[in-house]
Amino acid sequence: MVRVETDIANIVDNFTHLVNAARINDTPVRNSQEACTMDMRASRMAQAADSLLKLVSELKQTAIFSGFASLNDHVDQRIGEFTQLAEKTDSLLARVGEEAAASLKELETHYYSSAQRTTQTLEP
Amino acid sequence: MDGKLEMSLDKLPVKRLESIEENGFERFPTDIGYDEKQVSLIRRIDFGWAVEKEDEEKKQKKRQKKSSRESSSTTTPWPWKNMVENLHLAHQELSVIIDLINTVEANDAVTVAGMTRPKPLPNEILADLAVSTATKLQCYRNLGKYFKQSAKALEQQVAREARFYGALIRLQQNWKVKRQRVAAIAPGNEGFMIDLFDNSLYDSVAVFQPSSLSTIRIDHNSDGINPIRVKPMAHLRIHLKKPEKESLSDNECVKDTHLLLRKVHQTIFDEQVFEMVNRGAVNQSSGLNVTGIQENYVQLCIGPGISIYVSVVPSDQGDQAIDSEDPENLESAAVPSDSFDGVKLAEEKHNSLTKKTSFPNCITCEIYLKQIFHEYIFVEAKGRPFSTSTRMPGQPANDGSGLLSHFCLSLSHRIISNKVLMELENVVCRVPYLHLISHPTWHSRSSAWTIYMKIPPSILHASSQARTPDIQNMKNVKSEFWTKVMVRDDCINIEAEGAPNVVGLFKDSSDDICSTNKYDCNLDDLPVIILQQVASQVIRWLHEEALAVGIKANRDFLCLSFELEQGEILSLVAHVDPEDIQGCISWLLTMEDSFAEEKKLHMNIADGASEYRKFLGYLPLDVLYSTLMDLVSLCGGGSH
Repeated sequence: MVRVETDIANIVDNFTHLVNAARINDTPVRNSQEACTMDMRASRMAQAADSLLKLVSELKQTAIFSGFASLNDHVDQRIGEFTQLAEKTDSLLARVGEEAAASLKELETHYYSSAQRTTQTLEP
Repeated sequence: MDGKLEMSLDKLPVKRLESIEENGFERFPTDIGYDEKQVSLIRRIDFGWAVEKEDEEKKQKKRQKKSSRESSSTTTPWPWKNMVENLHLAHQELSVIIDLINTVEANDAVTVAGMTRPKPLPNEILADLAVSTATKLQCYRNLGKYFKQSAKALEQQVAREARFYGALIRLQQNWKVKRQRVAAIAPGNEGFMIDLFDNSLYDSVAVFQPSSLSTIRIDHNSDGINPIRVKPMAHLRIHLKKPEKESLSDNECVKDTHLLLRKVHQTIFDEQVFEMVNRGAVNQSSGLNVTGIQENYVQLCIGPGISIYVSVVPSDQGDQAIDSEDPENLESAAVPSDSFDGVKLAEEKHNSLTKKTSFPNCITCEIYLKQIFHEYIFVEAKGRPFSTSTRMPGQPANDGSGLLSHFCLSLSHRIISNKVLMELENVVCRVPYLHLISHPTWHSRSSAWTIYMKIPPSILHASSQARTPDIQNMKNVKSEFWTKVMVRDDCINIEAEGAPNVVGLFKDSSDDICSTNKYDCNLDDLPVIILQQVASQVIRWLHEEALAVGIKANRDFLCLSFELEQGEILSLVAHVDPEDIQGCISWLLTMEDSFAEEKKLHMNIADGASEYRKFLGYLPLDVLYSTLMDLVSLCGGGSH
């Protein structure tokens, strides 16, 4: 927060000086001096804005790498979801296996009961 | 000072005769007063040369301007030259004036009473003010341009970082994002990486080394973002891409990244599986027969003439962007293959065909290999309970060698069980009254089938009609017979009923004690044994039917004998031949007579059958029953 306040105060202060420098002085020397000062104030404003941007990046990085609570909650949630999915898949596979076994039994019964079953040969 | 240095000398302070009049009167010039002298001295300083010089320079400048306009493309005058020259001239004038003032003050000839700036005229004041205002306005305009440029750059940076961190946060939901602590990080590059290695395996199974693909660096260049690229067998870098022409949205970009990371994760898993296979293969206590090993493949012998090799194969795509549909990944392939050497051609052809149909699918082998390693290494290593459907009782040690042995045994079992199934199907297809029932064991190293024979209801009904009244109350004749075939690893076990009990034979009542036989056999003898078992079950059924109608018959393993009134023994004999295409079980009728030389059975002799033996053919159950009834009637017993 200190950095934020410093940067914003910097921007406001430099902008104020820029506005104040709009007064036309009698001496050309003074005007030239103020021109150089204005360039300096503008650079300082841009620098402060860049500093704020970097501060925002750092805060985002801190949020990404320090948000353990939310991250752990999310990880636990995903673990629960994937565990459920794995269990569902296992039960689905078991059901598929049971249905396949039942179908196999039925088909075998029908096949061997039919008169059309042919002799299995080794012909290609 | 430029130019010549002119000197003017004072006249000597001697009174010089100015004029002589006619009368001889000499006139001398009047004495000049002190003030007048000083003024005359001052006036002697000639500034005309400077003014003339200035005029000349102005003329030269005008000429130069004209010439520069004419040849403006070739000359580029220094923009500050005029200012420098003006400053030089002003410096010179000031130097002269200062020298003059100092000289005057030093000589006490003239005392500068005071200098007053001439009061500027109103137009001069306004002109100066206008110049100052214009200068300041120009200065502010320049500042405005600078602020606009800075704002644009900052906006771009804000947008870029918003996209980057948004994507990074979304990636972090599913992947382990780490900050890269590198001292020399280029400006604009935050130094992040995604760690795909599973650290939880370090504690329990210290066999995994971090793969070269485990860490993936995320680059975020200041000039933009680049397409995602995967470089197999090399260190990976991911660049978050700014889409060309805004064709891909952020969601699609993140989705593509997820897809890429998942594929890399799978690649790492494949590498780990292959590493485990390697370790298991070279482990001397595993008992595996390693017949070939190289950097990226291992060959194992799992049976006589059967070997498998497990290899890690890089994809064919090479360096391509992830937006191509074909995935780029490392795969491990388990391929059973033959290694026949010096086998006969016919057998080789036959065997090769047999092997081709008996070999399991390579993809299923690969999936199974990955599944068992995943289940028993990764899941168990993390302490999570694995699913009951894949639990394998009596599982070997959960290390690489034990699992690899289990995998090889599973494969060899699968090959053998396929061959057993093929033999059973051959047998069942050739015997019409047999049914084959498969029993899925859901175990990778055991298989079970049942060969089932059921007496048709029509025969049973006829049988019940034919029974004598006093036998009606007896227990019904057994109408279902089964033969179980179980394969555990490479051992074939047969369990069946129907053969006479050996102990009962000694007690002369073998039919009361129905035994269930259980024995092992090999693959070559399996068809014969099955057929013998079935034939004995048929004989047993016929025997019970004969007893049911009140005829005393003797039952041997494959023979049912009736004693005729004349002392002749009429036998119904089963003959089994697995190679017989027309039918595996054929029936013969034989006659044994103690007076064979005098009384011969006048029977038609066909196809080389002996006088005492008649080939009945491949009889179905109803014909067998009819034949039995005929024999019974021939014996003179029963209700017929």
